[in-house]
Amino acid sequence: MKHLGAIAGRELRSLFVSPVAYAVLTLFAVLAGFFFLLSVQGFRETMAYYQQIGQFDVLRQLNLNNQVIGPFIQVMWIVFLFLIPGITMGLFANEKTNGTQELLMTSPLTMWELVLGKFLAAAAFVTILIAMMALFPALLFLDAGTPVLGLIFSGFDLADPNPEGLQMWAGLLGLWLLGLTYAAVGTFSSSLTRNQLVAFFLALALLLILWLLSVVADLGVAEGAAGTASRLSGVLTWLSTSDHFDKLARGLVDTRDLAYFVFMIGTFLVLTKTSVESVRWR
Amino acid sequence: MIEADNITKRYGDFLAVDQVSFRAGAGEVIGFLGPNGAGKTTTMRILTGFLPATDGRARIAGHDIFEEPLAARRAVGYLPETPPLYPEMDVTGYLEFVAKIKDVPRARRRSAVESALERCGLADVHRRVIGSLSKGFRQRVGIAQAILHDPPVLILDEPTVGLDPIQIREIRGLIADLADPEKTEARTIVLSTHILAEVEAICRRVLMIHEGKMVLDSAIGELTAEGQSLEDVFARMTLREGEAA
Repeated sequence: MKHLGAIAGRELRSLFVSPVAYAVLTLFAVLAGFFFLLSVQGFRETMAYYQQIGQFDVLRQLNLNNQVIGPFIQVMWIVFLFLIPGITMGLFANEKTNGTQELLMTSPLTMWELVLGKFLAAAAFVTILIAMMALFPALLFLDAGTPVLGLIFSGFDLADPNPEGLQMWAGLLGLWLLGLTYAAVGTFSSSLTRNQLVAFFLALALLLILWLLSVVADLGVAEGAAGTASRLSGVLTWLSTSDHFDKLARGLVDTRDLAYFVFMIGTFLVLTKTSVESVRWR
Repeated sequence: MIEADNITKRYGDFLAVDQVSFRAGAGEVIGFLGPNGAGKTTTMRILTGFLPATDGRARIAGHDIFEEPLAARRAVGYLPETPPLYPEMDVTGYLEFVAKIKDVPRARRRSAVESALERCGLADVHRRVIGSLSKGFRQRVGIAQAILHDPPVLILDEPTVGLDPIQIREIRGLIADLADPEKTEARTIVLSTHILAEVEAICRRVLMIHEGKMVLDSAIGELTAEGQSLEDVFARMTLREGEAA
Protein backbone atom coordinates (compact mmCIF):
# COMPACT_ATOMS: atom_id res chain seq x y z
CA MET A 1 0.00 0.00 0.00
CA LYS A 2 3.03 2.28 -0.29
CA HIS A 3 1.69 3.96 -3.44
CA LEU A 4 -1.60 4.94 -1.82
CA GLY A 5 -0.36 8.42 -0.91
CA ALA A 6 1.07 9.06 -4.37
CA ILE A 7 -2.21 8.19 -6.12
CA ALA A 8 -4.43 10.08 -3.66
CA GLY A 9 -2.08 13.08 -3.54
CA ARG A 10 -1.95 13.42 -7.30
CA GLU A 11 -5.71 13.19 -7.54
CA LEU A 12 -6.25 15.89 -4.92
CA ARG A 13 -3.70 18.20 -6.48
CA SER A 14 -5.34 17.82 -9.89
CA LEU A 15 -8.73 18.48 -8.31
CA PHE A 16 -7.47 21.72 -6.78
CA VAL A 17 -5.75 23.06 -9.89
CA SER A 18 -8.95 22.53 -11.88
CA PRO A 19 -11.92 24.87 -11.43
CA VAL A 20 -14.17 21.92 -10.52
CA ALA A 21 -13.08 21.79 -6.89
CA TYR A 22 -13.57 25.50 -6.37
CA ALA A 23 -16.92 25.52 -8.13
CA VAL A 24 -18.07 22.66 -5.91
CA LEU A 25 -16.74 24.32 -2.74
CA THR A 26 -18.40 27.62 -3.54
CA LEU A 27 -21.70 26.05 -4.44
CA PHE A 28 -21.51 23.94 -1.31
CA ALA A 29 -20.84 26.92 0.95
CA VAL A 30 -23.72 28.86 -0.55
CA LEU A 31 -26.17 25.94 -0.34
CA ALA A 32 -25.10 25.01 3.20
CA GLY A 33 -25.58 28.62 4.32
CA PHE A 34 -28.95 28.80 2.62
CA PHE A 35 -30.24 25.59 4.17
CA PHE A 36 -28.92 26.61 7.57
CA LEU A 37 -30.78 29.91 7.45
CA LEU A 38 -33.85 28.04 6.30
CA SER A 39 -33.61 25.74 9.32
CA VAL A 40 -33.23 28.67 11.67
CA GLN A 41 -36.16 30.42 10.05
CA GLY A 42 -38.28 27.29 10.40
CA PHE A 43 -37.35 27.12 14.07
CA ARG A 44 -38.45 30.70 14.69
CA GLU A 45 -41.76 30.07 12.94
CA THR A 46 -42.39 26.96 15.07
CA MET A 47 -41.63 28.90 18.24
CA ALA A 48 -43.89 31.74 17.12
CA TYR A 49 -46.69 29.28 16.41
CA TYR A 50 -46.61 27.68 19.85
CA GLN A 51 -46.33 31.05 21.53
CA GLN A 52 -49.31 32.34 19.62
CA ILE A 53 -51.56 29.42 20.53
CA GLY A 54 -50.31 29.63 24.09
CA GLN A 55 -48.73 26.14 24.27
CA PHE A 56 -45.90 27.33 26.49
CA ASP A 57 -45.04 23.82 27.75
CA VAL A 58 -44.41 22.65 24.16
CA LEU A 59 -42.49 25.81 23.41
CA ARG A 60 -40.21 25.10 26.33
CA GLN A 61 -39.38 21.64 25.02
CA LEU A 62 -38.21 22.86 21.63
CA ASN A 63 -34.45 22.83 21.22
CA LEU A 64 -31.78 23.71 18.70
CA ASN A 65 -30.71 20.10 18.19
CA ASN A 66 -34.06 18.79 17.01
CA GLN A 67 -35.35 21.94 15.36
CA VAL A 68 -32.24 23.34 13.66
CA ILE A 69 -29.17 21.11 13.59
CA GLY A 70 -31.02 17.86 12.88
CA PRO A 71 -33.11 19.20 9.96
CA PHE A 72 -30.06 21.03 8.60
CA ILE A 73 -27.98 17.86 8.49
CA GLN A 74 -30.89 15.87 7.10
CA VAL A 75 -31.46 18.23 4.21
CA MET A 76 -27.76 18.33 3.27
CA TRP A 77 -27.98 14.85 1.75
CA ILE A 78 -29.59 16.42 -1.31
CA VAL A 79 -26.57 18.69 -1.75
CA PHE A 80 -24.27 15.67 -1.41
CA LEU A 81 -26.37 13.75 -3.90
CA PHE A 82 -25.51 16.27 -6.63
CA LEU A 83 -22.06 17.46 -5.61
CA ILE A 84 -20.23 14.24 -4.76
CA PRO A 85 -20.80 12.65 -8.19
CA GLY A 86 -19.34 15.89 -9.59
CA ILE A 87 -16.18 15.29 -7.59
CA THR A 88 -15.83 11.60 -8.38
CA MET A 89 -16.90 11.62 -12.04
CA GLY A 90 -13.36 12.17 -13.32
CA LEU A 91 -11.53 9.72 -11.05
CA PHE A 92 -11.25 6.90 -13.57
CA ALA A 93 -12.97 8.39 -16.62
CA ASN A 94 -10.17 10.97 -16.93
CA GLU A 95 -7.47 8.31 -16.84
CA LYS A 96 -9.10 6.72 -19.87
CA THR A 97 -9.39 9.93 -21.89
CA ASN A 98 -5.85 11.05 -20.96
CA GLY A 99 -4.43 7.64 -21.83
CA THR A 100 -2.83 7.61 -18.37
CA GLN A 101 -4.63 4.38 -17.62
CA GLU A 102 -1.83 2.72 -19.59
CA LEU A 103 0.77 4.38 -17.36
CA LEU A 104 -0.97 3.27 -14.16
CA MET A 105 -1.65 -0.26 -15.30
CA THR A 106 1.92 -0.83 -16.50
CA SER A 107 3.41 0.55 -13.27
CA PRO A 108 4.21 -1.72 -10.35
CA LEU A 109 0.97 -0.81 -8.56
CA THR A 110 -1.58 -3.20 -7.17
CA MET A 111 -5.21 -2.79 -8.14
CA TRP A 112 -6.14 -2.02 -4.54
CA GLU A 113 -3.57 0.77 -4.30
CA LEU A 114 -5.13 2.35 -7.35
CA VAL A 115 -8.76 1.99 -6.26
CA LEU A 116 -8.19 2.94 -2.62
CA GLY A 117 -5.92 5.84 -3.60
CA LYS A 118 -8.69 7.29 -5.77
CA PHE A 119 -11.31 6.70 -3.10
CA LEU A 120 -9.08 8.26 -0.45
CA ALA A 121 -8.82 11.46 -2.49
CA ALA A 122 -12.60 11.65 -2.79
CA ALA A 123 -12.95 10.85 0.93
CA ALA A 124 -10.58 13.68 1.80
CA PHE A 125 -12.71 16.06 -0.23
CA VAL A 126 -15.88 14.87 1.51
CA THR A 127 -14.16 15.50 4.84
CA ILE A 128 -13.38 19.06 3.77
CA LEU A 129 -17.05 19.57 2.88
CA ILE A 130 -18.17 18.25 6.28
CA ALA A 131 -15.70 20.54 8.06
CA MET A 132 -17.03 23.52 6.08
CA MET A 133 -20.67 22.90 6.80
CA ALA A 134 -19.99 22.12 10.47
CA LEU A 135 -19.08 25.79 10.87
CA PHE A 136 -22.76 26.78 10.62
CA PRO A 137 -24.11 24.71 13.54
CA ALA A 138 -20.87 25.52 15.39
CA LEU A 139 -22.14 29.12 15.52
CA LEU A 140 -24.91 27.89 17.82
CA PHE A 141 -22.36 26.74 20.38
CA LEU A 142 -21.15 30.23 21.06
CA ASP A 143 -22.21 31.45 24.51
CA ALA A 144 -25.75 32.65 24.86
CA GLY A 145 -26.00 36.36 24.48
CA THR A 146 -23.92 36.45 21.31
CA PRO A 147 -25.55 38.13 18.33
CA VAL A 148 -26.36 34.81 16.62
CA LEU A 149 -28.26 33.22 19.49
CA GLY A 150 -29.70 36.56 20.46
CA LEU A 151 -31.23 36.92 17.01
CA ILE A 152 -32.68 33.42 17.01
CA PHE A 153 -34.25 33.64 20.47
CA SER A 154 -35.21 37.27 20.59
CA GLY A 155 -38.76 37.40 21.90
CA PHE A 156 -38.91 33.77 23.02
CA ASP A 157 -38.36 32.08 26.35
CA LEU A 158 -36.93 28.54 26.28
CA ALA A 159 -36.02 26.27 29.17
CA ASP A 160 -32.59 25.45 27.74
CA PRO A 161 -31.60 27.29 24.60
CA ASN A 162 -28.15 25.67 24.45
CA PRO A 163 -27.62 22.84 21.93
CA GLU A 164 -26.01 19.53 22.78
CA GLY A 165 -22.65 18.73 21.20
CA LEU A 166 -22.77 14.95 21.07
CA GLN A 167 -26.02 14.93 19.17
CA MET A 168 -24.54 17.21 16.55
CA TRP A 169 -21.42 15.07 16.25
CA ALA A 170 -23.57 11.99 15.68
CA GLY A 171 -25.38 13.80 12.88
CA LEU A 172 -22.14 14.93 11.26
CA LEU A 173 -20.78 11.38 11.54
CA GLY A 174 -23.88 10.18 9.71
CA LEU A 175 -23.47 12.74 6.96
CA TRP A 176 -19.77 11.92 6.67
CA LEU A 177 -20.50 8.21 6.28
CA LEU A 178 -23.21 9.03 3.75
CA GLY A 179 -20.70 11.18 1.86
CA LEU A 180 -18.12 8.37 1.83
CA THR A 181 -20.75 5.94 0.56
CA TYR A 182 -21.63 8.39 -2.20
CA ALA A 183 -17.93 8.75 -3.01
CA ALA A 184 -17.59 4.96 -3.30
CA VAL A 185 -20.62 4.78 -5.62
CA GLY A 186 -19.23 7.70 -7.65
CA THR A 187 -15.81 6.05 -7.91
CA PHE A 188 -17.48 2.91 -9.20
CA SER A 189 -19.53 4.85 -11.77
CA SER A 190 -16.41 6.60 -13.00
CA SER A 191 -14.68 3.26 -13.52
CA LEU A 192 -17.44 2.11 -15.87
CA THR A 193 -17.08 4.77 -18.56
CA ARG A 194 -14.62 7.11 -20.23
CA ASN A 195 -17.15 9.95 -20.30
CA GLN A 196 -17.34 12.14 -17.20
CA LEU A 197 -20.91 13.21 -17.86
CA VAL A 198 -22.04 9.60 -18.12
CA ALA A 199 -20.21 8.85 -14.87
CA PHE A 200 -22.00 11.77 -13.19
CA PHE A 201 -25.51 10.77 -14.21
CA LEU A 202 -24.87 7.09 -13.55
CA ALA A 203 -23.76 7.90 -10.00
CA LEU A 204 -26.80 10.15 -9.55
CA ALA A 205 -29.12 7.38 -10.72
CA LEU A 206 -27.51 4.75 -8.47
CA LEU A 207 -27.64 7.04 -5.44
CA LEU A 208 -31.28 7.95 -6.03
CA ILE A 209 -32.19 4.27 -6.37
CA LEU A 210 -30.35 3.50 -3.13
CA TRP A 211 -32.24 6.28 -1.40
CA LEU A 212 -35.67 5.41 -2.79
CA LEU A 213 -35.49 1.69 -2.01
CA SER A 214 -37.07 2.35 1.37
CA VAL A 215 -39.93 4.27 -0.27
CA VAL A 216 -40.58 1.27 -2.51
CA ALA A 217 -40.45 -0.95 0.57
CA ASP A 218 -43.04 1.23 2.33
CA LEU A 219 -45.40 0.93 -0.65
CA GLY A 220 -45.22 -2.85 -0.41
CA VAL A 221 -46.13 -2.83 3.27
CA ALA A 222 -48.94 -0.36 2.74
CA GLU A 223 -50.64 -2.81 0.40
CA GLY A 224 -50.86 -5.16 3.34
CA ALA A 225 -48.58 -7.83 1.93
CA ALA A 226 -47.52 -10.53 4.34
CA GLY A 227 -44.80 -13.20 4.57
CA THR A 228 -42.22 -13.00 1.79
CA ALA A 229 -43.38 -9.56 0.72
CA SER A 230 -42.79 -8.07 4.14
CA ARG A 231 -39.45 -9.84 4.37
CA LEU A 232 -38.52 -8.39 0.98
CA SER A 233 -39.54 -4.94 2.10
CA GLY A 234 -37.36 -5.43 5.19
CA VAL A 235 -34.37 -6.19 2.95
CA LEU A 236 -35.08 -3.20 0.73
CA THR A 237 -35.36 -0.92 3.73
CA TRP A 238 -32.07 -2.22 5.08
CA LEU A 239 -30.35 -1.71 1.71
CA SER A 240 -31.65 1.83 1.42
CA THR A 241 -29.39 4.58 2.73
CA SER A 242 -32.23 6.79 3.91
CA ASP A 243 -33.32 5.11 7.16
CA HIS A 244 -29.75 4.53 8.37
CA PHE A 245 -28.86 8.12 7.66
CA ASP A 246 -32.01 9.58 9.22
CA LYS A 247 -31.33 7.82 12.50
CA LEU A 248 -27.78 9.15 12.67
CA ALA A 249 -28.88 12.63 11.62
CA ARG A 250 -31.29 12.68 14.54
CA GLY A 251 -28.40 11.78 16.81
CA LEU A 252 -29.04 8.06 17.30
CA VAL A 253 -25.78 6.15 16.95
CA ASP A 254 -26.43 2.47 16.34
CA THR A 255 -23.61 0.13 15.38
CA ARG A 256 -25.95 -1.58 12.90
CA ASP A 257 -26.24 1.66 10.96
CA LEU A 258 -22.48 2.19 11.08
CA ALA A 259 -21.98 -1.36 9.82
CA TYR A 260 -24.38 -0.66 6.96
CA PHE A 261 -22.25 2.23 5.69
CA VAL A 262 -19.02 0.25 6.04
CA PHE A 263 -20.68 -2.60 4.12
CA MET A 264 -21.84 -0.31 1.29
CA ILE A 265 -18.46 1.42 0.95
CA GLY A 266 -16.68 -1.95 0.89
CA THR A 267 -19.10 -3.40 -1.66
CA PHE A 268 -18.73 -0.52 -4.10
CA LEU A 269 -14.94 -0.48 -3.76
CA VAL A 270 -14.81 -4.21 -4.56
CA LEU A 271 -17.05 -3.56 -7.57
CA THR A 272 -14.73 -0.73 -8.65
CA LYS A 273 -11.69 -2.98 -8.41
CA THR A 274 -13.42 -5.62 -10.54
CA SER A 275 -14.43 -3.02 -13.10
CA VAL A 276 -10.96 -1.47 -13.35
CA GLU A 277 -9.38 -4.90 -13.66
CA SER A 278 -11.78 -5.84 -16.42
CA VAL A 279 -9.78 -3.96 -19.08
CA ARG A 280 -7.31 -6.78 -18.64
CA TRP A 281 -9.69 -9.57 -19.53
CA ARG A 282 -12.21 -7.83 -21.80
CA MET B 1 16.05 -9.27 -21.63
CA ILE B 2 12.80 -9.99 -23.47
CA GLU B 3 11.75 -13.58 -24.03
CA ALA B 4 8.40 -13.97 -25.75
CA ASP B 5 7.11 -17.46 -26.44
CA ASN B 6 4.06 -18.05 -28.60
CA ILE B 7 2.20 -14.98 -27.42
CA THR B 8 -1.38 -15.16 -28.63
CA LYS B 9 -4.21 -12.69 -28.14
CA ARG B 10 -7.74 -13.47 -29.16
CA TYR B 11 -10.66 -11.04 -29.06
CA GLY B 12 -13.67 -13.30 -29.49
CA ASP B 13 -13.14 -14.88 -32.91
CA PHE B 14 -10.57 -12.34 -33.97
CA LEU B 15 -6.96 -13.41 -33.62
CA ALA B 16 -5.05 -10.18 -32.98
CA VAL B 17 -1.69 -11.76 -32.20
CA ASP B 18 -0.90 -15.30 -33.34
CA GLN B 19 1.95 -17.16 -31.65
CA VAL B 20 4.53 -14.43 -31.71
CA SER B 21 7.92 -15.47 -30.36
CA PHE B 22 11.18 -13.60 -30.19
CA ARG B 23 14.19 -13.03 -27.99
CA ALA B 24 15.89 -9.71 -27.45
CA GLY B 25 19.18 -9.35 -25.62
CA ALA B 26 20.74 -6.48 -23.76
CA GLY B 27 21.95 -3.66 -25.99
CA GLU B 28 19.66 -4.50 -28.89
CA VAL B 29 17.57 -1.88 -30.63
CA ILE B 30 14.74 -3.54 -32.45
CA GLY B 31 12.36 -2.03 -34.97
CA PHE B 32 8.89 -3.48 -34.80
CA LEU B 33 7.21 -3.08 -38.18
CA GLY B 34 3.87 -3.93 -39.63
CA PRO B 35 0.86 -2.35 -41.30
CA ASN B 36 -1.89 -0.76 -39.21
CA GLY B 37 -3.88 -3.34 -37.29
CA ALA B 38 -1.17 -5.97 -37.61
CA GLY B 39 -0.99 -6.46 -33.85
CA LYS B 40 2.00 -4.29 -32.94
CA THR B 41 0.29 -2.32 -30.22
CA THR B 42 -1.40 -5.41 -28.81
CA THR B 43 1.94 -7.23 -28.62
CA MET B 44 3.52 -4.27 -26.86
CA ARG B 45 0.63 -4.00 -24.44
CA ILE B 46 1.04 -7.65 -23.56
CA LEU B 47 4.78 -7.29 -22.96
CA THR B 48 4.23 -4.28 -20.71
CA GLY B 49 1.57 -6.08 -18.69
CA PHE B 50 -1.29 -3.82 -19.74
CA LEU B 51 -3.15 -6.70 -21.38
CA PRO B 52 -2.93 -10.39 -20.55
CA ALA B 53 -2.15 -12.80 -23.38
CA THR B 54 -4.73 -15.44 -24.22
CA ASP B 55 -1.90 -17.92 -24.54
CA GLY B 56 1.87 -18.04 -24.43
CA ARG B 57 4.48 -16.79 -21.99
CA ALA B 58 6.78 -13.82 -21.77
CA ARG B 59 9.62 -12.86 -19.49
CA ILE B 60 11.05 -9.38 -19.01
CA ALA B 61 14.52 -9.23 -17.45
CA GLY B 62 13.92 -12.76 -16.18
CA HIS B 63 10.51 -12.04 -14.60
CA ASP B 64 7.46 -13.81 -15.95
CA ILE B 65 4.88 -11.13 -16.77
CA PHE B 66 1.99 -13.25 -15.50
CA GLU B 67 3.60 -14.76 -12.43
CA GLU B 68 5.66 -11.79 -11.20
CA PRO B 69 3.80 -8.89 -12.81
CA LEU B 70 5.10 -6.20 -10.45
CA ALA B 71 8.77 -7.16 -10.88
CA ALA B 72 8.34 -7.42 -14.65
CA ARG B 73 6.62 -4.00 -14.83
CA ARG B 74 9.40 -2.45 -12.75
CA ALA B 75 11.85 -3.52 -15.48
CA VAL B 76 9.93 -1.89 -18.36
CA GLY B 77 9.69 1.68 -19.50
CA TYR B 78 6.73 2.13 -21.82
CA LEU B 79 5.66 4.93 -24.10
CA PRO B 80 2.15 4.13 -25.35
CA GLU B 81 0.88 5.42 -28.69
CA THR B 82 -0.58 8.49 -26.95
CA PRO B 83 1.82 9.75 -24.28
CA PRO B 84 0.11 9.12 -20.92
CA LEU B 85 0.12 12.67 -19.56
CA TYR B 86 -1.98 14.65 -17.11
CA PRO B 87 -2.52 17.98 -18.91
CA GLU B 88 -3.13 19.93 -15.69
CA MET B 89 0.20 18.96 -14.06
CA ASP B 90 3.54 20.65 -14.58
CA VAL B 91 6.37 18.62 -16.06
CA THR B 92 8.36 18.22 -12.85
CA GLY B 93 5.27 17.41 -10.77
CA TYR B 94 4.27 14.77 -13.29
CA LEU B 95 7.70 13.14 -13.37
CA GLU B 96 7.86 13.16 -9.56
CA PHE B 97 4.54 11.33 -9.49
CA VAL B 98 5.80 8.78 -12.03
CA ALA B 99 8.97 8.29 -9.95
CA LYS B 100 6.82 7.41 -6.94
CA ILE B 101 4.62 4.88 -8.70
CA LYS B 102 7.59 3.33 -10.53
CA ASP B 103 9.29 2.59 -7.19
CA VAL B 104 12.26 4.91 -7.60
CA PRO B 105 13.71 5.04 -4.04
CA ARG B 106 12.97 8.33 -2.27
CA ALA B 107 16.62 9.31 -2.07
CA ARG B 108 17.08 8.95 -5.82
CA ARG B 109 13.85 10.57 -7.00
CA ARG B 110 15.16 14.08 -7.38
CA SER B 111 18.22 13.03 -9.34
CA ALA B 112 16.13 10.64 -11.48
CA VAL B 113 13.74 13.45 -12.41
CA GLU B 114 16.58 15.85 -13.09
CA SER B 115 18.49 13.44 -15.29
CA ALA B 116 15.33 12.55 -17.26
CA LEU B 117 14.61 16.27 -17.79
CA GLU B 118 18.19 16.75 -18.92
CA ARG B 119 18.31 13.79 -21.29
CA CYS B 120 15.01 14.63 -22.96
CA GLY B 121 15.83 18.32 -23.36
CA LEU B 122 13.08 19.42 -21.00
CA ALA B 123 15.13 21.50 -18.58
CA ASP B 124 13.76 24.78 -19.96
CA VAL B 125 10.10 23.78 -19.67
CA HIS B 126 10.20 21.83 -16.41
CA ARG B 127 7.81 24.25 -14.65
CA ARG B 128 5.38 24.50 -17.57
CA VAL B 129 1.95 22.92 -17.42
CA ILE B 130 1.89 19.87 -19.71
CA GLY B 131 -1.34 20.95 -21.43
CA SER B 132 0.38 24.08 -22.71
CA LEU B 133 3.31 22.24 -24.30
CA SER B 134 3.71 21.59 -28.02
CA LYS B 135 3.26 18.08 -29.36
CA GLY B 136 7.00 17.57 -29.66
CA PHE B 137 7.58 18.51 -26.05
CA ARG B 138 4.72 16.31 -24.91
CA GLN B 139 6.27 13.39 -26.75
CA ARG B 140 9.53 14.10 -24.93
CA VAL B 141 7.74 14.17 -21.59
CA GLY B 142 6.32 10.78 -22.59
CA ILE B 143 9.81 9.46 -23.23
CA ALA B 144 11.12 11.03 -20.01
CA GLN B 145 8.38 9.16 -18.18
CA ALA B 146 9.49 5.88 -19.79
CA ILE B 147 13.20 6.21 -18.96
CA LEU B 148 12.74 7.79 -15.53
CA HIS B 149 13.30 4.66 -13.45
CA ASP B 150 16.20 3.60 -15.67
CA PRO B 151 14.58 0.35 -16.83
CA PRO B 152 16.60 -2.29 -18.68
CA VAL B 153 13.82 -2.64 -21.27
CA LEU B 154 12.21 0.23 -23.18
CA ILE B 155 9.11 -0.27 -25.28
CA LEU B 156 8.16 2.69 -27.44
CA ASP B 157 4.96 2.62 -29.49
CA GLU B 158 5.39 4.96 -32.47
CA PRO B 159 7.59 7.47 -30.67
CA THR B 160 7.78 9.88 -33.62
CA VAL B 161 4.21 9.80 -34.90
CA GLY B 162 2.71 13.22 -35.58
CA LEU B 163 5.93 15.16 -35.17
CA ASP B 164 7.52 17.54 -37.62
CA PRO B 165 10.81 16.58 -39.35
CA ILE B 166 13.00 18.47 -36.90
CA GLN B 167 11.26 16.99 -33.88
CA ILE B 168 11.54 13.54 -35.47
CA ARG B 169 15.28 14.02 -35.83
CA GLU B 170 15.55 15.09 -32.20
CA ILE B 171 13.58 12.12 -30.89
CA ARG B 172 15.61 9.75 -33.05
CA GLY B 173 18.78 11.27 -31.68
CA LEU B 174 17.44 10.76 -28.18
CA ILE B 175 16.63 7.11 -28.85
CA ALA B 176 20.04 6.52 -30.41
CA ASP B 177 21.50 8.16 -27.33
CA LEU B 178 19.53 5.88 -25.02
CA ALA B 179 20.83 2.87 -26.89
CA ASP B 180 24.43 4.02 -26.99
CA PRO B 181 26.42 1.47 -24.98
CA GLU B 182 29.13 4.02 -24.27
CA LYS B 183 26.73 6.35 -22.51
CA THR B 184 24.53 3.97 -20.56
CA GLU B 185 24.24 0.42 -19.41
CA ALA B 186 23.10 -1.94 -22.09
CA ARG B 187 19.38 -1.48 -22.67
CA THR B 188 16.93 -3.32 -24.82
CA ILE B 189 14.78 -1.01 -26.90
CA VAL B 190 11.81 -2.09 -28.96
CA LEU B 191 10.13 0.59 -31.02
CA SER B 192 7.24 0.32 -33.39
CA THR B 193 6.91 2.59 -36.38
CA HIS B 194 5.59 2.96 -39.89
CA ILE B 195 8.61 4.87 -41.02
CA LEU B 196 11.04 2.46 -42.62
CA ALA B 197 13.81 5.02 -42.77
CA GLU B 198 13.55 5.33 -39.03
CA VAL B 199 14.27 1.65 -38.59
CA GLU B 200 17.22 1.85 -40.95
CA ALA B 201 18.51 4.87 -39.07
CA ILE B 202 18.46 3.57 -35.51
CA CYS B 203 17.73 -0.15 -35.37
CA ARG B 204 20.05 -3.03 -35.88
CA ARG B 205 17.37 -5.65 -36.09
CA VAL B 206 13.86 -5.71 -37.47
CA LEU B 207 10.78 -7.71 -36.56
CA MET B 208 7.87 -7.64 -38.93
CA ILE B 209 4.36 -8.63 -37.99
CA HIS B 210 1.45 -9.08 -40.37
CA GLU B 211 -2.11 -10.13 -39.49
CA GLY B 212 -0.90 -11.11 -36.03
CA LYS B 213 1.87 -13.39 -37.28
CA MET B 214 5.60 -12.79 -37.13
CA VAL B 215 6.73 -12.78 -40.75
CA LEU B 216 10.30 -11.56 -40.42
CA ASP B 217 13.02 -11.49 -37.79
CA SER B 218 16.31 -10.40 -39.21
CA ALA B 219 19.32 -8.16 -38.74
CA ILE B 220 19.13 -5.06 -40.93
CA GLY B 221 22.64 -5.80 -42.18
CA GLU B 222 21.57 -9.20 -43.53
CA LEU B 223 18.67 -7.73 -45.46
CA THR B 224 20.67 -5.02 -47.10
CA ALA B 225 23.56 -7.39 -47.76
CA GLU B 226 21.18 -9.43 -49.91
CA GLY B 227 20.65 -6.28 -51.91
CA GLN B 228 17.02 -5.65 -50.99
CA SER B 229 15.72 -2.46 -49.48
CA LEU B 230 13.61 -2.57 -46.35
CA GLU B 231 10.75 -1.15 -48.35
CA ASP B 232 10.80 -4.05 -50.80
CA VAL B 233 10.82 -6.54 -47.96
CA PHE B 234 7.97 -4.74 -46.20
CA ALA B 235 5.86 -4.66 -49.37
CA ARG B 236 6.50 -8.32 -50.13
CA MET B 237 5.75 -9.50 -46.61
CA THR B 238 2.60 -7.54 -46.09
CA LEU B 239 0.86 -7.73 -49.46
CA ARG B 240 -1.92 -10.25 -49.50
CA GLU B 241 -1.61 -13.15 -51.92
CA GLY B 242 -2.98 -12.23 -55.32
CA GLU B 243 -2.17 -8.60 -54.78
CA ALA B 244 1.50 -9.15 -55.46
CA ALA B 245 2.47 -8.01 -58.90
